Amino acid sequence: MILLGKIALGMAGVGLAGAGLLCSDGVVHVKVIEKEPHGLYISLVAPAMLAPIAVHLAPRRGLAQASRQIQPYMPMIRAALDGLRETDDVVLVEVKAPGEHVKVSRLAGSIVVDVDDAGERVQVSTPIRAISSAVEQLAAATPNPMVTDYAK
Amino acid sequence: MRESIGRRTHIAAAPCLLAAGMIVLAAPAMAAPAEKYLHVKVEDPAKDENVHINVTLAMAEKILPAINNQDLHNGKLSIHKAEMNGVDVRALLDAVRTAPDNEFVTVKDQDSDVRVAKSKENIIVHVTDKKNKEKKVDVTVPLKIVDALFSTAKNDELDVAAALRALSDAGDALLVTVQDSTQRVRVWVDSRNTQD
Repeated sequence: MILLGKIALGMAGVGLAGAGLLCSDGVVHVKVIEKEPHGLYISLVAPAMLAPIAVHLAPRRGLAQASRQIQPYMPMIRAALDGLRETDDVVLVEVKAPGEHVKVSRLAGSIVVDVDDAGERVQVSTPIRAISSAVEQLAAATPNPMVTDYAK
Repeated sequence: MRESIGRRTHIAAAPCLLAAGMIVLAAPAMAAPAEKYLHVKVEDPAKDENVHINVTLAMAEKILPAINNQDLHNGKLSIHKAEMNGVDVRALLDAVRTAPDNEFVTVKDQDSDVRVAKSKENIIVHVTDKKNKEKKVDVTVPLKIVDALFSTAKNDELDVAAALRALSDAGDALLVTVQDSTQRVRVWVDSRNTQD
C-alpha cells in the first residue's frame, strides 16, 4: 500500500514537473466569443512552449520559403522583441472605427491582440518569449544547401 | 517592567519611522528616469475613426539601427545632394542657434504660406494651405534634436538614432500637428504610456 502511494506520488510529481516545464514559457490564450444568441464561446489555453516545438517539428521544406522571407527582417524583429521584453505594459496600437475596435498591447510579458467587432470578439495572448523562440526556429528552418545539393 | 518594554519599543520605533520617512521622501529622486513614449494620434471625426500608436523611445532606439533599407542604414538617413540644393545646413544651423528668437523665413506662394521661426530653443515650421485654410502643418523641433540629427561626420546624413536619444533626454514635447479638412494628426513625446 505504501509502495503504491509512493509510485502515485512519484507519478504525480513527474506530471507536475512536466506541466511546469511545458508552461515555463507561459501560455498562449485564445478566446473567441460570437456575439449572437447561442453563439460560439471558445477559450483555449495551451503551453507557449508548443509553438517553437511545432515549428521545429514541421517539415523543413514547407517552412523554407517563409524562412527565407523572414531572414532579412530578423535583426529588426529581434530588436523589436528585445525592446518589447524590456518595456512596461503599454497599448501599442489601438484602432477605433464604427463597429470595430482593434487593440495590440503588451501585457505582463505577452503580446495581446484584441479584435472586437459587431459579430465577434477574438483575443489572442502570446508570451513574447514564445514568439521569439518560434520566430528563431522559423528563421533557422532554411534547408542546408549542402544537404539539398547532396540529395539532388 | 511592562512600562520599560513599552518605552524601549517606542525608542526602537522612532528611528524606523524616521528611516521610512526618509526613504519615502528620497524615492522620487532616486527613481530611474521615467520611460519616454512617442505617441501618434490620427483622428478622423467625419468617419468616426481613431488610430493611436504608443511606442517607447527606448524600443524605437533599439529597432532603428536594425533597419537597413534604401536610404536608412544603422540609424542614419542618407540625404541626396540634389535634395540639399547646395545649402550648407550646418552653417545655417549655427547661424540660427546663435540668433535671437525670430521669424527667419516666410515663403508665400499661390498655394501655401510657409513660416520658419525660432522660439524658446525650438525650430518651428508652420505651413498653411491657401486654398483650404483648414489644412495646416505645424512642426516643432527642439534645437537639441536638430543638432543631434546633424551630429554625424558626413554632410549627407541625418543621424536619426541620435535624434531619438536626444528626444529621450528632452522634456515632454508636441512635435507635429497636421490638420486636414477631415483628419487630424498629432505626434508628441511624454512620459505617460497612454494618450488619455
